[in-house]
Amino acid sequence: MKGRRRLTRTLRGLGALAMALAAFFPFYWIINTSMTPTDKLYSGQQTVWLDLSRAQYAFQILVADSPFLRWLTNSAVVATGTTILGVLLALLAAYALSRYRFSGKGAFSFVFFSSQMLPEALIVVPLYATFVSLRLLDQHAGLVLANTAFAMPVAVWILKAAIDGVPVEIEESARVDGCGPLRSLHHIILPVIAPSLAAAAVIAFFDAWNEYLFATTFIRTKDLWVASTGLASFQGEYQTPLDLVFSGAFIFALPAVVFFLLVQKRIVSGLTAGSVKG
Amino acid sequence: MHKDVTDRRATQSPQRRSRFVWTPYLFIALPVIYSLVFSGYPLLKGLQLSLTNAKLLNPNGGRFIGADNYVELLGNPATWASIGVTVFYTLLVVVASTLLGLASALLINESFFGRVVVRAMLTVPWAVPTVAVALVFIWMFNDGSGILNTFTQALGLGRFGWLTNPDVALFSVTLATLWKVTPFVMLVLLAALQSVPAELIEAAKVDGASPLRTFRVVTVPAIMPTVRVVVLLMTIWSFRRFEIIWLLTGGGPVNATNTMVISVYRTAFNNNELGLASALGMIGVVMSLAVTVIYAFVDRRGESR
Repeated sequence: MKGRRRLTRTLRGLGALAMALAAFFPFYWIINTSMTPTDKLYSGQQTVWLDLSRAQYAFQILVADSPFLRWLTNSAVVATGTTILGVLLALLAAYALSRYRFSGKGAFSFVFFSSQMLPEALIVVPLYATFVSLRLLDQHAGLVLANTAFAMPVAVWILKAAIDGVPVEIEESARVDGCGPLRSLHHIILPVIAPSLAAAAVIAFFDAWNEYLFATTFIRTKDLWVASTGLASFQGEYQTPLDLVFSGAFIFALPAVVFFLLVQKRIVSGLTAGSVKG
Repeated sequence: MHKDVTDRRATQSPQRRSRFVWTPYLFIALPVIYSLVFSGYPLLKGLQLSLTNAKLLNPNGGRFIGADNYVELLGNPATWASIGVTVFYTLLVVVASTLLGLASALLINESFFGRVVVRAMLTVPWAVPTVAVALVFIWMFNDGSGILNTFTQALGLGRFGWLTNPDVALFSVTLATLWKVTPFVMLVLLAALQSVPAELIEAAKVDGASPLRTFRVVTVPAIMPTVRVVVLLMTIWSFRRFEIIWLLTGGGPVNATNTMVISVYRTAFNNNELGLASALGMIGVVMSLAVTVIYAFVDRRGESR
C-alpha cells in the first residue's frame, strides 16, 4: 500500500515536472536563441543546451547600436503613466464599490467590466479616428489614456476585494473622530491593503508594458515607438540578426517575468475571490 | 456580507436616515466616466462609422450609407469564412485549455517535492509579453531551422509547415495560444479545487467511495461554478484575441487564421475601409453579446436545479 502511494507521488511529480518544463521551455528558448550566433541559427545548428561562448556579444550590440534602449524607455514611461493614473482611479472606484450601497451600483460595475469584453481590435478603429481629430496620434499621453481605460477594471477588481477584507469598524471609529472618507482611505485603508495595491500596480504596469495593438496603431514615429512595437518590427525579415532580436525580447520579457513571480499568489487570490465563494 | 459604512449612522440618528450620501458618486464618477469615454464612446462611434463609407485617410469624412456595409459583409463568403475560423479557434482554445487546465490543476493539487518551483515556472507563460511569445514561437515553428521540426523529424514524423501550411496554421496558432493561456486556467481551477471542503472528501472516503467516484460526485459539483466562469472568460477572450494571431500569421496563410478581429484590423488598416471594418466589428460585438446572454441563461438554469 505504501509502495503504491509512493508510485502515485512519483508519477505526479514527474507529470508536474513535464508541465513545468513545457511552460518554461519557450522562455528558455528566447535565452538560448539570444546567445547563439545568427549564422548558426539559420544553418540549423542551434543546440538545445546553452552556448555561453559569445553570450554578451548580442546584448552589447543591441544596447549600443539600436534604438532599443530608447524604445524601452518609452515603454517604461507609458507603463508608469498608465499605472499611476489607472491605480488612482481604480482605488477611488474600488472604495466606493466596497464601502457604500448606492443605487446604480450594479450599473457602474457593469460599465467597468463590459470594457473587458470589447475587442481591442474593434475599439482601435474608432479610437484612431478620434485621436486623429484630437491630434493625439504619436503622443505617449494618448497611449497612456487609452491603456488606462483597459487596465483599470482589473485593478478595481483586485482593490475592491482587498478593501472588502478591511473591517469597517476601524473606519467607523475614525469617522466618529471626524475623519472623512478621503482621509480614511489615505491613512487607514492604504497601509492595510499595500500588498494588493502593489499587485494591482504590477498588473497595470505590465498590461501597458506588454501592450502592442494600441501602441503600434497610435505611435507612428520610429523614435517614439515602445519596445513591443520595435521588437515586432523585426519579425519576418530575412537577414534579421536573430540573436540581437532575441536579446531584445529577453530584456523586454525579464521584468514582467520577475514581477509576476513576486505577486502571482496575490493576483490569483484576488481574481478568484468572487468566483470561488459561489 | 459586510456592513456598510453608512449603516451605523442611519440607525443612530434617525433624522439623518433620509440624507442623500453623495460621497460614493463622487468617488466613482471619474473612473466611470473614463470607462465610458474609452469603451462606450468608441462603441457608439464604431456604430456610427459602420453606417458610413469612411476611409482610413479621412476617418471623419464618410458619407452615410445606411446598412450597405452590413449587406455587403453578410453577402460575402469571406465574412462567413472569418466567422467560421473564429468559432473553430474559440472552440479549440476553450475546450483544450479547460481540459488541460483541469488535468494540470488536479495534478499539482496534492503536495509533492518541488511544487513551489513548478508553480513558479507555470507563471512564466502568463508573464511573458505577447510580442516575445510570438517571436519565439515563429522561430520554433520555422520550417528550416525551428526546434519543433527538428524534434518531429527526430521522432520520425517528418517536418511540418507550422505557419506556412494553411491546414496546419490554425492549430499552430492554437498551440501558441494554449501555451500562453492554460496556466491561468490552471491556477484558477487549482484555487477552486483547494476550496472544496475537506470534510466532504473525507465523508466520501469514509463511505467507501473510490477516488473516481469522489471526484464525480463531490469535486465536480463543487468546482462547477468556477469552471463555468472560466469557460465564459475564455470564450470572450478567444473572440477578442488579436496580438498573438496577428504577429504569428497576420491572418494567413490564405486566411486560414483570419479571425473576425484580424479581419476587422486588416479591413481598416490594410484595405483602408474604416466603415466596412466597423460594421464587421459590430457583428463581432453582437456575437460576443449573444454568447454572454446564452451563458447567463444556462447559468441561471444550472443554479435553479
